Parts: sequence; structure tokens; C-alpha cells
Amino acid sequence: MSNIDPKVLRYKVENINTLPTVPGVLKRLSAVIEKPRITLVEISAFISNDPALTTKVLKMVNSAIYGFPGRIASVSHATMLLGLNVIKGLLLGVSVFELMQKTMNGLYEHSLGCAIASRIIAQKKGVKEPEEVSVAGLLHDIGKVILALEYPKEYQAAMNEAQEKSISIFDAEKNQFNATHANVGSWLAEKWRFPRNLIDVIEYHHRPALSKNAPLETAVVHMADLLVRARGFGFAGENFVPEVNTIAYELLKLSESDIKDVLRELEDNMESAEDIS
Amino acid sequence: MPKIPVSNLVPGMKLAKPITAKNGMVMLGEGTEITDKWIERIADMDIANVFVEGPPIQTITREEALDSLNERFAQVEGKPYMSVIKKIVKVHIEGLYE
Repeated sequence: MSNIDPKVLRYKVENINTLPTVPGVLKRLSAVIEKPRITLVEISAFISNDPALTTKVLKMVNSAIYGFPGRIASVSHATMLLGLNVIKGLLLGVSVFELMQKTMNGLYEHSLGCAIASRIIAQKKGVKEPEEVSVAGLLHDIGKVILALEYPKEYQAAMNEAQEKSISIFDAEKNQFNATHANVGSWLAEKWRFPRNLIDVIEYHHRPALSKNAPLETAVVHMADLLVRARGFGFAGENFVPEVNTIAYELLKLSESDIKDVLRELEDNMESAEDIS
Repeated sequence: MPKIPVSNLVPGMKLAKPITAKNGMVMLGEGTEITDKWIERIADMDIANVFVEGPPIQTITREEALDSLNERFAQVEGKPYMSVIKKIVKVHIEGLYE
């Protein structure tokens, strides 16, 4: 089956910046967010120095993904409101959007939908930082982008296999790489010094019962992922809805009207959200 | 809130989102009623689509939407909680066509 050694894979993922196909903005960004003691002011200055990035960030914070009332007009205001972790995640999100679309047509829409749904569910469940969960939803599939960048042929093969055998992309990745986008995403999140709960969400969104540090947040994104697929928004590697994890479902205890609210919110916001890129 | 091409604007529609210039400055606010004059100005602004008020426009028929829902859930029929989730999504999708 696969002859890719997971150790080599991890090494390559952690040094993704050496790839010529990685966009410049992502390289510059990762150099900034990898620093152990980056401050809000530094991040704010980094964004402000790049007009394209500034526009993207402002569009994003004013979108349904965050749902802030009123308009946020400046980068410094946005960074103060959202905090370091959310801003870091958001920057990563906006700089991989185009890559997402190249990797899988519809992955971008899927990720936006997950970000919106995650925020609504997090708010309903009283999670302290719903914006953090929203960013986790936005980035939960980033491993797919990285795998496709590093191993384009193999990733295409995994996508074809998922399609032909009607298996999940998660299982197809396992066959191709001995690892999945969830592993890859979490390695990268770790390297980029994201908080533990965000790393957990990315690593365990397919198996939420395994999360030790953020069981609730992971269950939220698991459910958001499932609802976006159930409604048929976007494409994330396969055209069917996966089985819900019963432990996560029972942990969230969403009522029928909760789920309806999430769907309605998605319906109202997906079209305008697509405008963000 | 449907997104429509500028060429499909007709007087009487209302903007569901503000029209902004490239630098983010608001040119026409949310809720503005579209008139012939505004259509002309918007057409001169090099904007492809605008958001207008009203129910979203469905691009596929109700039957197609429900068929693809059934396809999406085909592998998980009978699994725990999946029928509950499917039912809620089905009611939601039917609601889009009322």
C-alpha cells in the first residue's frame, strides 16, 4: 500500500516552507506566527503592511463567521477584539483560501460553513471563546491542503480512491499516507504554536471522543462538519454524510430547534460568506 | 438574501448589504431602495454582484434537493441518531421551497 514513512511525512510537513509551491504570503506569515513571543502589536503591523491581507482580514471579521454587531474598520480594532490566537488562525485561514479551492473544489465553502456552524453551536453550548471554536472550524481541514501541496499525485490518488470505492477521504488518506489530514493539520498547528485546544480540535474532529484537552470544542466542530455536509454545502472529499460520533452527539445534546437554528444561519450566510476570498 | 448580478437589478429591490468601494468605503447603504438612477451608477462601478433582500433563490428543484439528500445519507441509514439529523435537514430543505 503506502510506502510513505510517517516520520518523513511529518518532517516534510513541518518544513513546508521550503516548497516552491507555497505562496509567499503564507511563508511570510508562518515566519511571523512561529515566533514564541509574538505580540498583538507585531501581528497588527504585519497585517497593516499588506493591503491585500488587510482587506481580507477586515472582510472576514465583518462576516457571518464572527457575527460581531457593527462594522470593524481597522486592523488594530480587529486584533484587540479577537485576540492573538483567533487572529493567527484567521490569518492562516485567509492565506490558504485559494489553495483550498485548488486542492478540492468546494473545500473553501465547506470550511467557511464549518466556521459559521461552529460559532453558532459554541454559542448555544456556552463555550467561553466562540471565536476560537469558529477558527478551529475554519482550519479543521487544513491538513488536506498541506498534503495536497506536499504530495500532489498521491493526494489526487487518495481523492480518486475515495470517489471510486465510496470510502471517506479520511480512510483513503490512511491508505495513501499512513496518516490523515487530521494528523497533518495538528502537526502544523503545533509548529505554529496554536493553543492546545485548537490542536485537539484539528487532530480529533473525526474521532472527538479521543480529545483530552478540548472535548467540548472538538465535539462542536465534529457536529458542525457533519451538519454542513448534511445540508450539502461545499465539498470536502466525499459526497456522503459520515456517521455522527455518539459520544459527541450526547455531549452536545443539541435540540431539534438548535439544529434548525444552525441550518438557518448557514442558509442566510453562506452566499455572503463566499465573497470573502 | 440572494446575490444577483448587477444586470438583474430592477427598481424597487432593496440592498441587503451595503455596496462598498474597493477601500471599504460605503457607497450605498444597506436597505437602499434601487431606482433606475442607482442601477446606472452601480453598473458604472465595476461590481459583479450585489445582495438584495428576499428569500434565497434555489438553483435546483425541490425533488433534486431531496434526492441528493437521500444520496448523502445512504451510507448511514439506521445508524444511531442519523435518522433524527436527516429528518431535521429534510424539513429545513423543504422549508426553502415554500
